[in-house]
Amino acid sequence: MRRRVQLMVGLSAALLCGPSPAGEDRRLADIGPAPETALTEARGGEPFRLSDLQSEGKVALVSFIYTTCNGSCPATTHTMYRVQEALKEAGLFGDRVEFVSITLDPKTDRPEVLARYADIFAADPDAWHFLTGEPGEVAGVIASWDMWARVGPTGTLDHPSRIFLVDPGGRQREIYNLQFLEPEAVVADVRAVLDGADGPAR
Amino acid sequence: MVAPPLRSPALLGLALAILASSAATTRAETCLSPYVKRLDRPEKYLYVFCVDADAQENDFIITIDVDRTSPSFGSIIHRLDLGTKGNETHHWGFTDDRTRIWAGGLFSSRIWIVDVATDPAAPRIERVLDDVPEQTGLSGPHTYYALPGRMLISFLGAADGGLPAALAEFTNDGEFIRRIDQPEEAPYGYDVAVKPERDRMVSSSFTPKRNYGKPFAEMSLSDFGDELVVWDFKTRTPIQVMEAGLAPLEVRWSLKPENDYGFTNCALDNSIYLFRGKGDGSYEAKKVADTAALPADLRQSPDDRYLYVSCFGGDEIQQWDVTDPERPVLASTVVPCVQPNMMHVTFDGKRMYVTNSLLSTLDRSGNFCVRLVHVGPDGMKVDPFFDVDLTGFESGPARGHDMLLN
Repeated sequence: MRRRVQLMVGLSAALLCGPSPAGEDRRLADIGPAPETALTEARGGEPFRLSDLQSEGKVALVSFIYTTCNGSCPATTHTMYRVQEALKEAGLFGDRVEFVSITLDPKTDRPEVLARYADIFAADPDAWHFLTGEPGEVAGVIASWDMWARVGPTGTLDHPSRIFLVDPGGRQREIYNLQFLEPEAVVADVRAVLDGADGPAR
Repeated sequence: MVAPPLRSPALLGLALAILASSAATTRAETCLSPYVKRLDRPEKYLYVFCVDADAQENDFIITIDVDRTSPSFGSIIHRLDLGTKGNETHHWGFTDDRTRIWAGGLFSSRIWIVDVATDPAAPRIERVLDDVPEQTGLSGPHTYYALPGRMLISFLGAADGGLPAALAEFTNDGEFIRRIDQPEEAPYGYDVAVKPERDRMVSSSFTPKRNYGKPFAEMSLSDFGDELVVWDFKTRTPIQVMEAGLAPLEVRWSLKPENDYGFTNCALDNSIYLFRGKGDGSYEAKKVADTAALPADLRQSPDDRYLYVSCFGGDEIQQWDVTDPERPVLASTVVPCVQPNMMHVTFDGKRMYVTNSLLSTLDRSGNFCVRLVHVGPDGMKVDPFFDVDLTGFESGPARGHDMLLN
């Protein structure tokens, strides 16, 4: 049997030189629609709708956290802070991208509690929205994202660790796992979405 | 980058999260997608995916009580009828949040989405995907690999039962996202595994339905693949095709983040191959061990030291010390049953569950069972008291294949 160790034609350069040229990049699929999310902004108390960001042509990065979490939530919010800073350096935060963090524990995370949590993590209030609401309406939003939170054996809330990238068209284009989330990769994904160069991969 | 002005509660939470994360890496289940939530306690339930042996009754999933404190330890406590027969129910995998199992049939290309969160002892069908070939152009769904919020599935062939194979992605609740084509030089498909730290993915090769659907004596050995494909994971782009032994099956990356290598068991070459990054962005594959006949499954110990190889044709499980990945050393062997096939190692590396059906077209014994092997410093030992018989169902014998713990 012939020995076969082939670098794919046209891709050996990519291997050595970085990403493929624009137009060949299939890094972001069209995963599906982002659910409409209408809750209350903890800092300020105004109503918030995710679709308003879309009407402004902005990308959204959406996370789910709760303030008394001793597991993944502080790491999630800290990592999003690092992404916030990377996007600021890239000149994208605020003008082209905004962040949304939705509480998984609305009974505890009343607006003042969530606002204090946001300040602790240096979340820029201009473009990072911490959302809460009545438990029933928050539960509906959580379920609409195929997320969940339930009390585990230790008495704390168990929940998945996912961060969603939503394009200006309201489509989910990437879902990140906290453990492997790198700010530079998010910046690249945001650029790709805004450039529209890759188009939804189908 | 400037560090954020964290105050003490946030710092405390962050430290706890980091500690929890580092603890999980030393005692964690292996051979699952790195995106799957790990079990943080000893196992209570063992799910076994069963084929009705003569394909005359519906296929099913059983739950075995494996809680060592339970009075019903080692017995079947639940059976979920899948509603159809002749599926050749085979492999499956958890979603990232461990609330669902995606499970599929190699003959029917049907996929079941099974809820294991509502009542872990009694799984229930949430959705059945009957139109996967129409949606994807593919057949023989094999590996169910969790990504954040979605599933990556490798298929064994095209919708008509031939080639080429490819991969596809679905949302966790069953909506088709996209198909990912393989390079023309590697038309066969089997397993897939991701190394997120390297942004690399490797897929392997078997044979399509036109071949695996035949009795063994009629299968064509020239219709099996021997390729491994290295992919850029983020862009799902193939970057290299390598040759391994015939029918490289399971893809197991080293569990250590810093290691850029992994192994595959070549079923029709009776060997283990090492694939390894060369440091210049390219990879190489080479044979590093000869096994007994037909190495059908490959598993890892949580400390990354051992590989377990089930030799379906050689009737034994081999434990290989891969401290030096270039020179594996056979550490011990065990004979849990005739034609051992699928294995599942517990999070602490101390126990391994074993089934003994490969495919209805390949099994040579009808003594189907589930056995437990204890793993210790002196090697592997069969538990004489844990012997779950799969031949005595009202519907007759069942071929137990893939397993998951909960």
